Amino acid sequence: MEKLVYAIEGLSLWVGRAFGWCILILTLSVSYEVFVRYVLNAPTVWAFDMMVQMYGALFLMAGPYALAQDAHVRGDVLYRLFSIRWQARVDFLLYLLFFFPGMIALFWYGWEIASDSWRYKEVSWNSPARIQIYFFKTLIPAAGLLLMLQGLAELMRCWKAMKTGVWMERLDDVKETEDMLMHINEPKF
Amino acid sequence: EGTVLKMQAAWGGGIFLENAQSYVDRVHAMAGDALKIDLLPVNSVVKTSQMQDAVHRGVLDAAHYVPAYWYSKSKTASLFGTGPCFGWSSQEVLGWVNYGGGQELFDELMASLGLNVVSFFNSPMPAQPLGWFKEEIKDASQMDGLKYRTVGLAADVLLEMGMSVVQLPGGEIQPAMKSGLIDAAEFNNPTSDRDFGMQDVSKHYHLASFHQSQEFFEVTFNKDKYEALPAELQAILKYASEAENSNFYWHNTKRYADDLKTLRDEQGVNVYRTPDSVMSAQLDAWDIVVDRISGEDAFFAKVIDSQKAYAENVMDYLNLNQPDYKLAYAHYFG
Amino acid sequence: MTNPEVAILMLCLFILLVLLGFPIAFTLLAMGVGFGYYAYYQGGIETFSDIFNNNIFYLLNQNTYSVMENDTLVAIPLFLFMGYVVERANIVDRLFYSLYMAARNLPGSLAIAALLTCAVFSTASGIVGAVVTLMGLLAYPAMAKANYDKSFASGVICAGGTLGILIPPSIMLIVYAAIAELSPLRLYAAAVFPGLLLAGLYIVYVMIRVWINPAIAPKPNLDDIPPRRKIYLDLLISFVPLTVLIMLVLGSILGGLATPAEAAAMGALGGLVLAFLYRSLTWLKVKESVFLTAKATAMVCWLFVGSWTFASVFSYLGGHDLISDWVVGMNLEPWQFLVMAQLIIFFLGWPLEWSEILIIFVPIFLPMLEVFGVNPYFFAMLVALNLQTSFLTPPMAMSAYYLKGVLKKQIELMEIFRGIIPYLGIVILCMVLMYQFPGIALWFPDYLFGVYVP
Ligand code: NA
Ligand code: NA
Repeated sequence: MEKLVYAIEGLSLWVGRAFGWCILILTLSVSYEVFVRYVLNAPTVWAFDMMVQMYGALFLMAGPYALAQDAHVRGDVLYRLFSIRWQARVDFLLYLLFFFPGMIALFWYGWEIASDSWRYKEVSWNSPARIQIYFFKTLIPAAGLLLMLQGLAELMRCWKAMKTGVWMERLDDVKETEDMLMHINEPKF
Repeated sequence: EGTVLKMQAAWGGGIFLENAQSYVDRVHAMAGDALKIDLLPVNSVVKTSQMQDAVHRGVLDAAHYVPAYWYSKSKTASLFGTGPCFGWSSQEVLGWVNYGGGQELFDELMASLGLNVVSFFNSPMPAQPLGWFKEEIKDASQMDGLKYRTVGLAADVLLEMGMSVVQLPGGEIQPAMKSGLIDAAEFNNPTSDRDFGMQDVSKHYHLASFHQSQEFFEVTFNKDKYEALPAELQAILKYASEAENSNFYWHNTKRYADDLKTLRDEQGVNVYRTPDSVMSAQLDAWDIVVDRISGEDAFFAKVIDSQKAYAENVMDYLNLNQPDYKLAYAHYFG
Repeated sequence: MTNPEVAILMLCLFILLVLLGFPIAFTLLAMGVGFGYYAYYQGGIETFSDIFNNNIFYLLNQNTYSVMENDTLVAIPLFLFMGYVVERANIVDRLFYSLYMAARNLPGSLAIAALLTCAVFSTASGIVGAVVTLMGLLAYPAMAKANYDKSFASGVICAGGTLGILIPPSIMLIVYAAIAELSPLRLYAAAVFPGLLLAGLYIVYVMIRVWINPAIAPKPNLDDIPPRRKIYLDLLISFVPLTVLIMLVLGSILGGLATPAEAAAMGALGGLVLAFLYRSLTWLKVKESVFLTAKATAMVCWLFVGSWTFASVFSYLGGHDLISDWVVGMNLEPWQFLVMAQLIIFFLGWPLEWSEILIIFVPIFLPMLEVFGVNPYFFAMLVALNLQTSFLTPPMAMSAYYLKGVLKKQIELMEIFRGIIPYLGIVILCMVLMYQFPGIALWFPDYLFGVYVP
């Protein structure tokens, strides 16, 4: 079971990081737009939509990554007072009740909406370049599917924690920034 | 217990939300307890670009917006209000919708897109002003290279005229104008433009333009919801649209005129009529845009043909018949 | 139970359920889907597949897409990326430490330096999440190291980081302008002095508090203090790169080069260039900044997916109509209306977050402004100040959650909340001052653009 959890989380991590690179494309394309607008007085007709799509793809597809790293904010005033077993029980129940219905909807109905969009080859509604958005809309069911998978991994984590009373370790990710700062940012007196 | 329909408007306030409310008031006055429309302001349930999808699916029962908002699905959307001007005004385009085959073409388009909606069109908007500039525009050549903010097919037209179109979120128009990120911008009408505060960033306002010269509202209903209503309520929804058509024209022209006066007399805005050279350049640009899209999209071409046939016929009569109103105006008011 | 009452129930239930500690984005989403299922329920479930035949599922997808295509939110990953790049290039921290050194003789010097850096960074970013996150990464460890009281230190960061929605350029003011159809530029101008006043009051509070109880913010060890010349040199050196960056960001917005999102992109690029010049740019650092940006953006924007769905269902059920009818039915004087509107917004700020309050509740009051003869820009500034508190009041205290998000186990949420409470009082004081002297908000826009004509 542990292997399966880490396999799913490895996938979430990989996809989230891959889409993370959108930020670099976003930064460069937007800077390019500003450059051509001012230096060459020739704004592009695509930069605006590109910007929106890069941002949208980035946050959507990093959703499972954030979940796999427990990076989504929790209102844990009471939660942290529970024992790990109880945390796991509450989480297990809420993943079933709160999480899966929405994610199934994102996958199933998102698919329906995306296929509509493919049918009329939908474009951005205010773009003079008529940038296509049907690929972009297809990311919703994709994110829904990945989130369901990651949700499954979370259920298995909860199951394990209920049995053992210990949370499984999260996969190694970027070294926690605050830990680094503790060392790097020694006041330079 | 009457039926309740949830209608979302594309407007968060201002005169257009008043217009939507006015339609709803007419329905209420006629339908009594049998039908109630809950009018929700912009973004209440879904964002504007999702309104048509929401009505199609039944997430909303109805929407009050303009056809330009489903331009993403078909270029033909722009021909319902923000298309080329064949010598007509929005009054006559609405005439085409009702008596020139426009409604049938609309229904055909909805069927081909697989959209489950019924729409009524109303409220002939006066031509949208060319907009706000840094200085007076005296000749079409001044438009070349100007960075301008507009949306929809108007953007294609102005690109053809040699302008640069900058896409901006609505809220950033003003700062962008003040700071020089854009050289010019258009919004909608003197009242909305003034509410939006364009006079804070520009003092040169040009009225008259062909870029969006005949827009109107679309009141759209989920087809299943609409057809489930008894015939007399269906009729009320339709005839309230016709009644609001007149009310809009009377109500809004007065408000626009009053706000234009405030802009000019109290807020120091210089108001001009756009020079003819700009408007004829716009017509030439429209030709290129229309030809290009007609080549790519047979249905678009079909709608254009239908519109041209109607406009040629009706405007011939009107042009011959209408006296020169400007002459009479000048006679009395100089 | 009528539908609007169900909406109020939904709100109350959310306040309770959020305490269970499930990720807030998915709690909001679940409440939206659950109550939406009720709102769109057509009856007649006969087969298994009928269970799934409900429009709420489309609504969820449409809202998700709306978050994806929102051109205002584009600024979020860009400002976050800029923040991470700059932070990794040791730029902001140099400013922070040199400010700290320069202010070392003032009581609570680290806290003051943190507040000032917050104000400067708010100017650059305007996004609460980014500022709180960055300062949480930067100032909190420094304060912890200096043995500052944990609550006190976290309060400074949460309150200071929240200034970003008030001090222009601010995303919130742009959203407000769009909703109320006001001029964003006038709103920006109106927000300048209230923003400075609030930041000033925060600093005064910190100084008084530390003067009364020095134990919560120990002075730096005297042996550690470098010579005066070195302090000023450090201040200068640390100011130069950051000034360049702020010039890039703020200058390009005010100077007409770019929109906030574009400015943020250039800021991020500028950060990369600076990091390169300072020889602190490595492939590893870029990669880490990218990954951290992805995670943080997902965290912030999935909250929007949840809250927009929640808000949609709330207004579909007519929750805001119920509140509206209640206000109009009371026959109020204008000042009573203002106080009540602000009280309602304040209390809504407990369970809700600014975007929901702006999108759902503020429009209820807007048509009433004309009835009561209230200047909409004045009202907007009261709301903007008031919404500062929405970040700080539990259970939906986004500022506290962002900080908690980066500090993880270093601090308890309750400690953060305890540190935040005094700032709520200061915000209210600031609102009272502005009510007494509306010129604080209205003088500057009138001076720049001429007197407002309703
Ligand atoms: Na327009
Ligand atoms: Na709150």
